[in-house]
Amino acid sequence: MTFQGSLGYFYAMANGTQPGRIDVLQGTLDLMVLTTLESMGPLHGYGIARRIEQISEATLWLNEGTVYTSLMRLQQRGWISATWGTSENNRKAKYYSITRSGRRQLKAETKKWERIAGVITRLLSTVQQS
Amino acid sequence: MKALSQLRACMARLPLLLARRRLVDEVTEELESHVELLTARYVRSGMDPDEARLAARRQLGNTTRVREEIYTMNSVDWLGAVAYDLRYAYRLLTKNPGFSVAAIAIVALGIGATTSIFSILYSVLLKPLPYKDPGRIYSAEIIVPERRGQLPSLPASVEAYLAWRDTRSDFAEIAALGPWECNLTGDLDPERVGGARVSANFFSFLGVSLAKGRGFNVDEEQPGRERVVIISDAFWRRRYGADSSLVGRQIMINGESHTVIGIAPPGLLVPTGTLLHPQVPFASRVDIWKPISAMKRGLNNESWDHGVLVRLAPDGVRETGRQQLETIINELVRVQMPRLKTNVTVQLIPIREIYAGKVRLRLLMLFGASALLLLTACASLANLLLARVVTRASEFATRLALGAGRARIVNLTIAEASVLALIGGAIGVALATFGVRVLASYGPEDVRLMTSALVSLPTLTFAILASFITAFACGLYPAWRASRYEMATALQEGGRGSFGGAGRSRRILVGLEMAFATALLATAGLLLHSFINVMQADRGYQIERVLAADISLFGDRYAKAPSRVAFYHELASNVRALPGVSAAGMISGLPAVPSTTTASRTILLPSDAIFQQVVLSRPVAMIRGVTSGYFAASRTALMAGRFLSDGESGPVAVISESLARRLWPRELATSSIGRQIRQSNTDSPLITVVGVAGDARPGALDREALPVVYRPYEQWANGLMTLVVRTAQDPAALAPAVRATVRAMDHNLPVLAIHTMREIVASTVAERQFQMMLTSVFAILALLLGALGLYGVVSYSVACSTRDIGLRIALGARRPDVFRWVFARGMQPVLVGLLLGLVGAVAIARGLRNLLFEVAPTDPLALGLMSLVLLLSAGLACYPPASRAARIDPAAALRSG
Repeated sequence: MTFQGSLGYFYAMANGTQPGRIDVLQGTLDLMVLTTLESMGPLHGYGIARRIEQISEATLWLNEGTVYTSLMRLQQRGWISATWGTSENNRKAKYYSITRSGRRQLKAETKKWERIAGVITRLLSTVQQS
Repeated sequence: MKALSQLRACMARLPLLLARRRLVDEVTEELESHVELLTARYVRSGMDPDEARLAARRQLGNTTRVREEIYTMNSVDWLGAVAYDLRYAYRLLTKNPGFSVAAIAIVALGIGATTSIFSILYSVLLKPLPYKDPGRIYSAEIIVPERRGQLPSLPASVEAYLAWRDTRSDFAEIAALGPWECNLTGDLDPERVGGARVSANFFSFLGVSLAKGRGFNVDEEQPGRERVVIISDAFWRRRYGADSSLVGRQIMINGESHTVIGIAPPGLLVPTGTLLHPQVPFASRVDIWKPISAMKRGLNNESWDHGVLVRLAPDGVRETGRQQLETIINELVRVQMPRLKTNVTVQLIPIREIYAGKVRLRLLMLFGASALLLLTACASLANLLLARVVTRASEFATRLALGAGRARIVNLTIAEASVLALIGGAIGVALATFGVRVLASYGPEDVRLMTSALVSLPTLTFAILASFITAFACGLYPAWRASRYEMATALQEGGRGSFGGAGRSRRILVGLEMAFATALLATAGLLLHSFINVMQADRGYQIERVLAADISLFGDRYAKAPSRVAFYHELASNVRALPGVSAAGMISGLPAVPSTTTASRTILLPSDAIFQQVVLSRPVAMIRGVTSGYFAASRTALMAGRFLSDGESGPVAVISESLARRLWPRELATSSIGRQIRQSNTDSPLITVVGVAGDARPGALDREALPVVYRPYEQWANGLMTLVVRTAQDPAALAPAVRATVRAMDHNLPVLAIHTMREIVASTVAERQFQMMLTSVFAILALLLGALGLYGVVSYSVACSTRDIGLRIALGARRPDVFRWVFARGMQPVLVGLLLGLVGAVAIARGLRNLLFEVAPTDPLALGLMSLVLLLSAGLACYPPASRAARIDPAAALRSG
């Protein structure tokens, strides 16, 4: 199972939107925003949403607006910073970029997720075998 | 680090409160822009514009919700969060009473001890003195450079006081005060009362208004008009039952009628004992005031025994004023004693120093000791909290897994610590109110003088601050630990095991506790050793099995010296006849305590012709009148010659060894016999030295006493004598008999204080004893805390490693080896703590050198003994868990794993 695949797996589960999952989802969305900004460089909110849509292989993503709450959270923690710029449709837009502590956080989170993904993989492979 | 980013998030929120509206507006704009872009995208893929817009909005989701969330994210709703945390913490604590009680007790102990000492410290050192503008009041002392060796400073004489008073200077007001004791007789029991003679402006100088009546008038300083007195509030209540008609009435003082013209206010603070100056000894209580009789007697007369207080004018400069006083007195000396070649200097001591100077170091030391106890308590508390956090590891891991921020965990744990600290702090303050009362009643005189039993506002502020700091300091590390529990690992291992054990942190904390306890123990040991040295030091007179009684004669019957002589001789022989008495005699002032009736004089040699030329090079000595029995009763050592006997023919004296050395240096004591001296004047009668006695040192051993000239009582008759009785058995048992003997001879004489010599000496070292005992109490408490902490840590570590140990035993380890392993591991932090504590203690002791007596800061006896005590206690704490470990049944242990 690839990294993106496992993300997609969790995301599919998330589309059921059970209340208990909100906190886990928050963390996942934050992570995806960070990943996007790290690989794509500075982006505005719309651009981030498009990219996440792309990598999560989801055809429909409800509540795209939640990316802005995620962006606020990340700003408050100092993991991303914002500057004003102009968007494609000539409106003033905020462009976000990852900070150094954000990169550190991303590295730590990536390690954590890979470990979990490994556990799940092994679990599922034993299930398949039996 | 995540915690840091959490903190940063909190901090980021605060200024954002203001920018909240702006941020919401910005997000609104972003959302609008987002909708536009999405709509454009759908239109490009072929959708109808209106449909595209609808689809875009649907995809964006609930924008109102987003805006609301942005709004709340920038609010500081911490008040609600704090309330929740506190409620949760309270529930948690009530569910674990054992832990809660232990933690609260520890905090109460630490805060209680520190607050008690701080309360006293504040009263004595920090609280403003109850005078008007106390910062401008000084005590003026005179330094004669040539006399510095014997007398570091001198109080003023009445001449100096008058000259200063009558000359303009930067000092707006000058007041004088001198010691005075009197006998009160009349309708009530005769009583000897300590008091002071003061200048008429004394009370207005201090800025104190009398509770009843009026102060003295200037004309009452004249002889003949000075039969007026003011009495203190406490004395008025005690002896006269707060009778308000007392003002204006007459009372009998020393057989003469005096009018009471006023009652002093209750909170009045005046110097007592030797607080003002060693040569100005007041009684331990000052309850009555009389106007000074400022008669000029000439500087040649050696009564430099007036305390002088000066008040700096509002625009005055201290140094200028000092120089002015100096000029005035040097002028006076030049005029009255032109042949005296010296330049005296004037020293100004702030009034605060008078009250606080001697006791400052002791109080600071006590405060430091209580702070060490508090630190030990903090380490103990942190240890307990850490243990709790470890036990709840799975709970924290679950919370984290469910998405709780690390900050929430930290807040939660700190809330718990805060609740503990606040409850413990409140109990500690209650303990402190009780403690201050105890300390004030058993403490030394100067502390008692200035402490009120109430816990004041500054003290309460201190206690609250201390509690909060304790909560944070102790809670922070466990809280941080709690937030670090990695989800997967903690859930796997069920909370125990080497990861969650926090073993090393707890051992470090125990090591810290041991270090603090060692520092306290070592300090207490040094003080104890000093105290033992002080009590056992040879003062030159016998302390055991000796009784001392003050007798004072007054009234017409004893106006003439021969009648006084006869009385004292008769008294001495009557007392000698009592059963159990080995020897009895009288002296005009015990060497052990400073006395108001002992005179000091310059001792001159017969060859001295011109007083002013030689006076500064001659020693000053105390003159004491004795009856012949005194030397035997006090077991004074005889170095040469003989003691005085009754009925000496000519003027004779026995001098103390140090005087012989000063008068005739580099000569043997025996060569002093037969030599002659003079007292005070070059034309006073020649006195023959018949004996040289050993030096007698004051009870507190805090300074070297002036040398003594013992004169036969017939030749130096004084009103107040102390009867000294050496007994074969317990001296206290003889007190009633002595009282009865005095009464039988004259029932009008006041029953004065009767104490055993041991009691008298003990009261002079009361400060030292107080400090030693308090430090010891703190040290024992700290040791207990440390030992309990150690026991807890080792027990827990054994419980955690049960499987481990079981495995080792199963694989062949022998039980004694297991015991040794656990024991050694437990003692490790103790040894490290011990070393650190000893280093700290020596450093502290260096700073406290003035408090030690014949004990080095590195005293091996004290330090060694206390180290042993610590190691033994620690060993006792480690023993039960270690023996439990050795008794582990391997099969059961491996099964339970």
